[in-house]
Parts: sequence; C-alpha cells; structure tokens
Amino acid sequence: MTMESLDGDPRAEAPETLDGPPRQRFILDDTGFDEVPKKYRRFYRKWRGPSDKLAPNEVLCPVCKVVIRSTRELRPGDRVYCMPCMSRLIVVRNDAGTLEARVAY
Amino acid sequence: MATRASLSPVDIHDLELQQFLEEVHSFEFWFEAVEGYLSGLTWGHRPDTPEAVLDELERDRLITVLCNYCVGETAALEGASGLISIAPNRLSKVFLATQVADEGRHLEVFLHRLRDLGVKDPEAEVERRASPSLVLFKRRLLELVAGKDWEAAIFAQNVILEALEFAVFHSHGQTADPITREVLAGVVKDERRHIGFGENEIGRRLASAPHIRARIGQVKKELDHLVLDTLADTIKQIGMPRDEQERLGRAYLESVERLGFV
Repeated sequence: MTMESLDGDPRAEAPETLDGPPRQRFILDDTGFDEVPKKYRRFYRKWRGPSDKLAPNEVLCPVCKVVIRSTRELRPGDRVYCMPCMSRLIVVRNDAGTLEARVAY
Repeated sequence: MATRASLSPVDIHDLELQQFLEEVHSFEFWFEAVEGYLSGLTWGHRPDTPEAVLDELERDRLITVLCNYCVGETAALEGASGLISIAPNRLSKVFLATQVADEGRHLEVFLHRLRDLGVKDPEAEVERRASPSLVLFKRRLLELVAGKDWEAAIFAQNVILEALEFAVFHSHGQTADPITREVLAGVVKDERRHIGFGENEIGRRLASAPHIRARIGQVKKELDHLVLDTLADTIKQIGMPRDEQERLGRAYLESVERLGFV
C-alpha cells in the first residue's frame, strides 16, 4: 500500500474531519483477496488475527472478519462497505481509542 | 437503478447504498466472486492436493462430521429455495437464488468428500449419522419457511444456522486434512455472503418494525439449544481443545448479540 497526497475528493465526510487536518490518502494494491470481483479486490484483505495491526485506512468488519480498506484515512463517522458480506458499516472510535466498524442496518 | 457500467468509483465506499445493494445482490457479482476462488478446483479442492493418511478413528469421526455438514447444507438448500417465493423484493430473491446455488454446491462437495473417504452410499450414511438436534433444527426451519414467516425463517437460517456453520467450518479448517481444509475454505467464503445477508436483513427489519423483536426472540429461544447441542456434538467429533470450544460459542453468539438478542 502506498501513501500519497490527493486533493479535491467531492464525497461527503464525517463531521470530525471537517475541522481536522487533511486526510492521508492511499493507493491500494491487490493483496490477493479473491472473494469479490477483481475490480473490487484492492478494497479488502484477509485478517491475520488479533495481532494484525490495521493501517489508518483500514477497519475490521465485525460480521465476517475481513479487513476493509479505503483510499483515504478513516475517521469516526465514515461509512464503509464490506462487499464480502454485503454490510454497510460506520466507523467509530471505541473505548480503547482505536477505530472500529459497527454495522449500520 | 444503478447500472454496472456506472460502478467505477475512486473508492468503493463512495457508492450510494442502493447502488451498493444492487451490485452485491446481483448474479453477476456472485458469478465474478465465486469464479475468483472456485475456478481450477475439482469438487471444491485442487485436483493435485494429496490425500492424508487417516487412522480408522480419525476417518470415522470425519465421516460423522461431514454427514452433519450435509444435514445443515440440505436444510439451507431447501430453506433458501423455499424462501425465494416469499422474499419481499427482487434483490432478496436474486440473492437467495445465488445462495441456493452455493448450498447445492456445498452439499455436493461434502457428499463427494464422503465418497473419497470410502463411504459407498453417502446419503444413507448421512441419515444414519445425523445429529438429532440438527435434524430437529432442520424440521423447525422448514416449518417456518412453509409458514411463510419471512423474518423468523431468515433469522433461523441466515443468522443462526449460517453463524454456526461459519464458525465451525472456519475452525475445523485450521486442523483438517489438506483436502477437507480446501473444501471448507471455499465453503467459508460463500458463507460470508449468507451471514451478512441474514444479519443485515433482520437488522433492517427490526429497525423498521420493532414489534417483530419479540417473535424473533422466541425463535431464538426455541432454536438456541438445538444449535448449541449440535455445536457440542461437532466439537467432540473434531476433537477441538476447550479454549477453541469457548471461542466458537462466543463467535456464534456475536451475531445475535449485534442484533440485540442475548
């Protein structure tokens, strides 16, 4: 995964990010995750268990335990999709201070 | 409706919800997904994967476990196909059609694995070795389907049964012989879609019609002990260590807890 600076993304962002520093941006490479069509594979990777350290643009799907990846640094309030289990998730900051995803039904 | 040609986002997470649902509940998505991990396999495993040498007890236990996997897959195959006619919208119908194909494949590869292990009449063996708890679960699930109870049937099938299978297959795959491990790995990849569909469908239903919570809670109460009895039987046959048993029990409960059932 490569980090780079990109500007001008028109998407709506979470309230916290409007006042915060610019987000890091990431170029995603294919990690060999084969459970979604090829064009979407770079957005997901296998989880290597509790010792797997997630990058700032990654969050674990609580439903199917796949790591979800974004082209931007994730922040609380962001919406992400888990294609392998077809879930919509919201990024939150948990009590431990780390980011996690909660299912948004 | 979103067309597939329009789906070329910088980031997949930018999609509108309806675009996302149209995409992931399509047969086209399913086909491209399974092609990625099933192409090149024969009966769910690479043709050149070597057969492990199992002693008689290991072989017998594996046969019992696979027979019960066949019961679960048959329940889901019959349940998912019956649910298509009462699914509330096109996307659910199409998704269930893909699930039927998945469940049919799972049943087929498990029956074939039984033949590989020397079982001459796998379907008769499945009947002989089926766990009474799982048979009862299957009967109750199919009654819910026949009664056209969409929420209760999806909860029983795609939340309870699929959560159990997802947890057990994943765990069994860590210690199984090489061929069984590969077969299970492919099945687990399919199960991700099934558990996700179930949890999200029930979650949306509960959010829009909270009064159904009590009825689904009753279904959970009725079926929980059957699932946990089945889990205990399977764990015993696989020979899992105690801490893995506890982890599996927690994994099963996680999905129902996220939906607010304890």
